[in-house]
Amino acid sequence: MALRVDYLAKETGYNLIRNPSLTIATVLTVAVSLALLGSALLIRSGVDGLNVRFQDDVEFIVWLDRDATSEQVSIVERALNDSPLIADSRYITRQETFAEFQEFWQDSPEIMASVEPERLPTSFRVIPTEPDLEVVEALAAEYRLLPGVKEVDFAGEFIKQLNSFTRTASTIMLVTAAGSLVASSLLMYNSIRTALFARRREVEVMKLVGASNSFIRIPFIMEGLVLGVIGAGFSVLAVFGLNRVITRSVEEAEIGLFDSFALQQSDLLPIALWLLVAGAAIGAVGSGFAVNRYLDA
Amino acid sequence: MIKLEKVTKEYPGQTAAALKDADADIAKGEFVFLVGPSGSGKSTFLRLINKQEEPDSGRIFVAGKDIGKLSNWKVPMLRRNIGAVFQDYKLLPTRTVGENVSFALEVIGRPRHVIGSQVPAICELVGLGDQMEKYPHQLSGGEQQRVSIARAFVNRPLILLADEPTGNLDPQTAIGIMRLLDRINKTGTTVIMASHDRGIVDTMRRRVIELSGGEIVRDQARGVYE
Repeated sequence: MALRVDYLAKETGYNLIRNPSLTIATVLTVAVSLALLGSALLIRSGVDGLNVRFQDDVEFIVWLDRDATSEQVSIVERALNDSPLIADSRYITRQETFAEFQEFWQDSPEIMASVEPERLPTSFRVIPTEPDLEVVEALAAEYRLLPGVKEVDFAGEFIKQLNSFTRTASTIMLVTAAGSLVASSLLMYNSIRTALFARRREVEVMKLVGASNSFIRIPFIMEGLVLGVIGAGFSVLAVFGLNRVITRSVEEAEIGLFDSFALQQSDLLPIALWLLVAGAAIGAVGSGFAVNRYLDA
Repeated sequence: MIKLEKVTKEYPGQTAAALKDADADIAKGEFVFLVGPSGSGKSTFLRLINKQEEPDSGRIFVAGKDIGKLSNWKVPMLRRNIGAVFQDYKLLPTRTVGENVSFALEVIGRPRHVIGSQVPAICELVGLGDQMEKYPHQLSGGEQQRVSIARAFVNRPLILLADEPTGNLDPQTAIGIMRLLDRINKTGTTVIMASHDRGIVDTMRRRVIELSGGEIVRDQARGVYE
């Protein structure tokens, strides 16, 4: 059955402009619901990145004063070795810190050049027996009081709060997105039903003269697909826009912790692809149901 | 060409059957009138032949094939061989005469050059060769019915079904339409026409099948209305 491309384009195009308000409403609903879905996915993948970071990072760091005496260092070392809550600890020399520093800033030679190894502090990298946040917190408080200790660094508490907040936020977004996806599918269904109703005379004549079922149906299915994909296209733009805003504020914040929220283009593409697939699915499902319901052979 | 065997059709919610145990055998090239009052089953008879309706029981053969056994996707192929004309023309108001006729070929995927040659020829045949650019509302009832006949016949079907094609027309115009249907019949197309126009049926002197309350009460070669 030859379905000519120009016929299909003409029929689908006509259907789309025939009822502009309904076309716009359908596209916008699809766009909004998919934008919600995309944002939720964006935040999820940010949180996942954050957790990967944190799990790599159960250790905490006891920074020593730059002018700590060797006696003070050995007191700290003994305290760490004696504690049953600590699995392992390792002394990081100035040279090692400098080497790490060099690796971390290798793309920025001007920063590297401005630092001399003698000016860097030494530290202990400490791995607790349990990565439990409360244990780490208590240990941190304990070691912060020892002489020669400048600071104890751990990211736990903050990450935990941020984690639960973003999880909740993205779950709410996913639920809202699910609801509005149902709404947009129903609107799609109605939109195609209206198109079928507007063209019922043509459809009647087509059936009478023996147009094949697929010939009659495909333009309406195509209309659904085009509406869905256009809506999805807008949602992709929205998600890219959101990511740009996030990226900018992460850069301004200058805290490496949030880096995982600023997705690279390559990480965004799968999300964009999913949104387009979801848009096409809404279009196909909505129009498929309408066509099956109202175009019995 | 068309054979009905004990065909019964009832519509839900109606006590009387629209068609009851109907038997008929119509040969290729025949011209048959279906007569009878409104509700006697004439339209149902026609709608069963191109599978717009399914019978409750009995079998219907078209060109030797039991159409009850036809799968859904083959129904369009059946309909390509059966033209249909109606009392209300069923023209598309936003398309011109030429577009209405070519629509019938476009939607069954005929190539453009075929459409380009057949549409003007058929419009010429029905006497509307110089009105192809007009819209249906610019035509008289008789002219609109000619467009509808052109559309039904442009694909050269084996069978033409006409449901009260002159029902909305004055007697003079109706005669013109009958001449056209007669010409189409003479090309070998089997024509079945439902009518309660006594004058037309009596003048044409063709086979008459009379229906009453869904039953075939008379089947007469070269018959009259009553």
